[in-house]
Amino acid sequence: MADKESTVYVVDLGESMADCHNGRVESDLDFGMRYVWDKISTTVAASRKTWTIGFVGFNTDETDNVLANDGQFEGYDNISALQPIGPMSMTELRELRSKVQPSNVHGTDPVSAAVVALTMVQQYNPTHKIKRRVILVTNGESQIDDDELDSIAEKFNEKKVELVVIGIDFDDPEYGFKEEDKSTHKKNNENALQQLVDKCNDGVFGTMQQAVEELSIPRIKPVRPFKAYDGPLTLGDPSKYPSAISIHVERYFKTKRAPPPSASTVVVNNGFSQTQTFKDEDEDVEMGGAEFSGVKQMRSYKVNDPDAPGGKRDVDFEELAKGYQYGRTVVPFGESDLSITKYSTQKSFTIIGFIPYDSYNPFINMGETGLIVPQKMNEEAELGLSAFIHALHEVESYAVARYVAKDDAQVQILLLKPNPGLEDDFECLYDVPLPFAEDIRSYQFPPLDKVLTVSGNVLKEHRLLPNDELKDAMSDFVDAMDLSNYDVDEEGKPLDYAPVDEVYNPIIHRMNQAIRARAIDPESSIGPPAEILLRYSKPPKKLLDKAKHEIGNLIDAAELKKVPEKAKGRFGRKDTVKPRSGLDIDSLLESQPKLATISSENAIPEFKRILREANDDETIERAVKQMGEIVRKLIKDSFADMLYSRAAENLGVMREKLLEFEEPMLYNKFLRALKKSLLSGELNGDRREMWYKHIVGGGLGLITNEELDVSDVTEEEAKEFAK
Amino acid sequence: MAWGDDEEHRFGGEEEEEELDENDYKTQKDAVLFAIDISSSMLQPPPTSDNKKADKDSAVAAALKCAYQFMQQRIIAQPKDMMGILLFGTEKSKFRDEAGSRSGSGYPHCYLFTELDVPAAEDVKKLRELVEEGEDADEVLVPSKEPALMSNVLFCANQIFTTNAANFGSRRLFIITDNENPHGNDKQAKSSAAVRAKDLYDLGVTIELFPVTRANKGFDLSKFYDDIVYRSPAEDPDASTGVKTSRSGDGLTLLNSLISNINSKQTPKRSYFSKMPFELAPGLTITVKGYMPLHQQKPARTCYVWLGGEQAQLAQSETIKVDSEARTVEKSEIKKAYKFGGEYIYFTPEEAKSLKELDTKCLRVIGFKPMANIPMWASVKKSTFIFPSEEGYVGSTRVFSALWQKLLESKKVGIAWFVARKNANPVMVAIIPSGNLNDEDQDATTPYLPAGLWLYPLPFADDIRTVDIKCPPKPADELTDKMREVIQNLQLPKATYNPLKYPNPALQWHYKILQAMALEDDVPDEMEDLTVPKYKQIDKRVGGYLAEWKEELAEKAKEFMEFRATKRELEDQDMELVERKRPAKRQKPAAGSTAGGPSSGGQMSNAELKAAWGNDTLKKLTVPVLKDILTSKGISTTGKKADLLERLEEWIESHA
Repeated sequence: MADKESTVYVVDLGESMADCHNGRVESDLDFGMRYVWDKISTTVAASRKTWTIGFVGFNTDETDNVLANDGQFEGYDNISALQPIGPMSMTELRELRSKVQPSNVHGTDPVSAAVVALTMVQQYNPTHKIKRRVILVTNGESQIDDDELDSIAEKFNEKKVELVVIGIDFDDPEYGFKEEDKSTHKKNNENALQQLVDKCNDGVFGTMQQAVEELSIPRIKPVRPFKAYDGPLTLGDPSKYPSAISIHVERYFKTKRAPPPSASTVVVNNGFSQTQTFKDEDEDVEMGGAEFSGVKQMRSYKVNDPDAPGGKRDVDFEELAKGYQYGRTVVPFGESDLSITKYSTQKSFTIIGFIPYDSYNPFINMGETGLIVPQKMNEEAELGLSAFIHALHEVESYAVARYVAKDDAQVQILLLKPNPGLEDDFECLYDVPLPFAEDIRSYQFPPLDKVLTVSGNVLKEHRLLPNDELKDAMSDFVDAMDLSNYDVDEEGKPLDYAPVDEVYNPIIHRMNQAIRARAIDPESSIGPPAEILLRYSKPPKKLLDKAKHEIGNLIDAAELKKVPEKAKGRFGRKDTVKPRSGLDIDSLLESQPKLATISSENAIPEFKRILREANDDETIERAVKQMGEIVRKLIKDSFADMLYSRAAENLGVMREKLLEFEEPMLYNKFLRALKKSLLSGELNGDRREMWYKHIVGGGLGLITNEELDVSDVTEEEAKEFAK
Repeated sequence: MAWGDDEEHRFGGEEEEEELDENDYKTQKDAVLFAIDISSSMLQPPPTSDNKKADKDSAVAAALKCAYQFMQQRIIAQPKDMMGILLFGTEKSKFRDEAGSRSGSGYPHCYLFTELDVPAAEDVKKLRELVEEGEDADEVLVPSKEPALMSNVLFCANQIFTTNAANFGSRRLFIITDNENPHGNDKQAKSSAAVRAKDLYDLGVTIELFPVTRANKGFDLSKFYDDIVYRSPAEDPDASTGVKTSRSGDGLTLLNSLISNINSKQTPKRSYFSKMPFELAPGLTITVKGYMPLHQQKPARTCYVWLGGEQAQLAQSETIKVDSEARTVEKSEIKKAYKFGGEYIYFTPEEAKSLKELDTKCLRVIGFKPMANIPMWASVKKSTFIFPSEEGYVGSTRVFSALWQKLLESKKVGIAWFVARKNANPVMVAIIPSGNLNDEDQDATTPYLPAGLWLYPLPFADDIRTVDIKCPPKPADELTDKMREVIQNLQLPKATYNPLKYPNPALQWHYKILQAMALEDDVPDEMEDLTVPKYKQIDKRVGGYLAEWKEELAEKAKEFMEFRATKRELEDQDMELVERKRPAKRQKPAAGSTAGGPSSGGQMSNAELKAAWGNDTLKKLTVPVLKDILTSKGISTTGKKADLLERLEEWIESHA
């Protein structure tokens, strides 16, 4: 990996850069700096000392550069090294930002500025070992002296420095950009720069349009290959059986989920807080900037104690031992004993057996893929593994292996898949982890191709099953929407749409782009996500157009009906739920005497029963009142939090039913009164936990008009009320 | 006091939220109450038989054994879930000791053997004594003269659930009985039971019936239980799929049959998401529910225990957030910011939200591909199972079924954009069908998983690692032919990987030890690890092939080595020519290194290392080279040169 690099940006700050061209509403400078800032901030984000940056402005009011300052050379006026080469952090970035402003100057030769940059690079790091680059940005209005192009290109070549020229509104037939009505003067300058780059061994010439457009293409952070295993892959046990074979292999990661940037929890620093002299103890990086500081967590421990107020008391951390839970029993362990429950294993990688391709389904994979190659420069391993891969491929089989990455690591079961490298020229085994017995939850589902009736009959025709028309329409639809020959390459071979390596993780790049933009300009607002990040969120239009007919047919054959949002009546709506026998329980209940009051012990069924039988508002109100009393009593009688969940459950049922009956006011009224009682201590002591943990935390707050439009409580009011 | 860092939670976040369904005020816990009928027929031992595989257990014994196993599995796999055992039809009655409104007499012939709770060591021990040692000191397994009233049993269960498992998302009553008609023609008793069953339904308790029968007798649900059990299996994927009768026969004991029926209900079916709009094409949306039948089970983490009281007690931890000056920080002060170039970059909560919101919750097909177009290495994460539901669109099930059948038939998969919930990160998934057309589980490749569609997460370009290694393919040869024989002779049973045959040894060991310590048993020092290959069998079946193969490999490797050496020499000569032309400083080519003076140790082959070790030239290696070699072997590189040498020698010795 080219780890060290030095880049000097050379940017035109002349007065013409302040103008807007070609229908853009931003100045040439802002347009060009979009590219430059993005590049610089990527370097800042990496926080690497070995990636250094310098910045040279030309057409500046001042003159400040190595060549002019020596007084030896002429022709380097109005060129300023705004930032000497060095590692870049936010502080330097901010400083630089304030300096990058268009001036009132024009006419400085960009090539001279490039020479200044070349000199800086050479002085900063004279060796060839690091990647060194000069990036020149200009709109080509400044006059170029084309006499010395050869000798200057020679200098770049001699010092092995790359020269990149990116011009604003420069023509690029390859990319497809041409500025209309270009002045001859600019045309000449463009040509001169093009010539210079052509003479360089390592040179790039491009137009800013393309550079800016490509900013939205995600850049993937390269990660060093990680060797997860280096040792024998065995078949049989070499320590016991002379027949057993052992191939020395190395295993690397092939896939590894890249996490999105993670946010830290911070607080705004108090205005009066002293200078930032403290150091974050668990941070090796000192965080600059006075605005925010990190938040730490402090843990305290509590145990149940019937004598303590609230039923709990604090204990010292020193008084605690470590342990494990076995059901509700806690088993304390001394620190030294903790390891006895750890299954001791030895580093090994050994084959359990083989299965044919067709007995495996990828959806049982449990995670990321590994890649297995023979040890380097080990002829036995190379030939042995190769034969193994070919044999698996020929008999269409996978191997199942037991894998322990190092001593005392967890056992994993891996499926080894042969890749004989016929297409990609890379002969290896791929592996994926398989589940253990404990990882499977046996969920039962009804069959999808038949309906079993209660009486045990099997039906092949039913409204839940597709008829032949629907099946045919589906088949045509799936075939029409095929992505595997969406396009063809130059040789006419079908090209797969959305292949894995062209689909970027939208969240990672959306976040990174936004963070970079915010770092460069704290005032900027967040723009919409780049098109490339959402490209695969919808079917391609071309495909939809092609499959229009099939889609229409499928829609017709499917005969879907949307379930109306709220099909709820108030009274007389009979519960249709019946036991298997179809017995009409409600009629059975109605024949019994009506319930006068709801009992606390069977509150939920009785509350539901009364509401089912209710014919007037009064009954509902009465039931709610009784249920409310039960909730209050449960809380009042609760020792510590013992009855809180029961109270919450009753309250939850009340809320659910009042939503159904569209009576939000009844619920909200009760809840307002309840909150008052809870927080005032009216219900026998400190009941705040009931409010925050069970009611607010359980989503039992006020019914808002978003949930039910007849409510007069807005979302904000409900949020405020929950505080 | 202990200091913790906020960062430790950052990777946990996603996994933790997985099991929660949105907008649910109930806690996602499960409570199961076993209700076991203690009648004389249930207690009757099976007819004696010489057959080893014959039944040995009475129905009650089998039910208790099941409950015991269930309890142990629950502790391992669902440590937060509850379980209890209620015996009914017993001569004795017992509810709770507490002086509450209802005493034991409230529920005659109901005996609460294990209170509904997260099982404790004593519960396990007590049940084990009854099951394994047949110790029934309290004589609870004595049937009453008249049967228990089912309405009483059901209301007793109701009270147990109401008080002990308040606000649980899942509450289930497992009734194990051989009596299809407990109340004969007593209409009154029957309708009381039906009313109590409806109460349980309203309370959110599901009744699962496990009928037990002997010989060829059937179990007629219509006599009684059809009024008790609620379900509409066809319309609701969450409903049970029917009542399965447990019996002995077909080589299966009553116990095994019961275990298999109960195990299929071990975990309550929790949905991971519901009402998910599944957009097949613009204007064509159905609704599906999502489940996680695969979930990596890990041993529980350590906890802190307070030993100051009579009993060891779990210490509950609470965290407060403090700033740099140890001042407690209010929730409203807390902001989220990103580290960037040594500083924090801040977004307002609204901005942060808009950044994360790329799309609403959805599953949208963008097209279809042949299964073969998904690269075999494209795996990053476990898959999610989806099943249709009619809750959003009537007709979802038939459209889903048509898609499932088509994908199976033509070996295609859907490619879709998937946002699991509001604010979840979008992923690309392949939609892969499971199960078989034209039935019968026998030839299904995954009989332990349901038939339906799976959302198989595809890696993003960001998730692909590049490995800088060249491995050009080699032609197949005789070694390949010999290895073919080996592979064909070492197929796993039924030519498939059945995970159920491979328990995770780390988990099993952890809980085995823990159980022994909790129950004060002897701590075992050994355990059968089923993931270890059957070495003896391997030797027996393919030992001959392997020996031949090894011999041939050694020969071929020798030839290959010689070929390489010659090639290297030639290259060296070329290189020297080049060198002479260009006298600049250069690195010595690694290929030319010999054991005597290698410059790039990572490139030394094992044979070379071994040779160097043999003629004692290892110590001539420089420290950087040594470190290089050790790194390449995955060995620690700390310490002095002598340490490094020692470690390398150890390695060579063990790999020689």
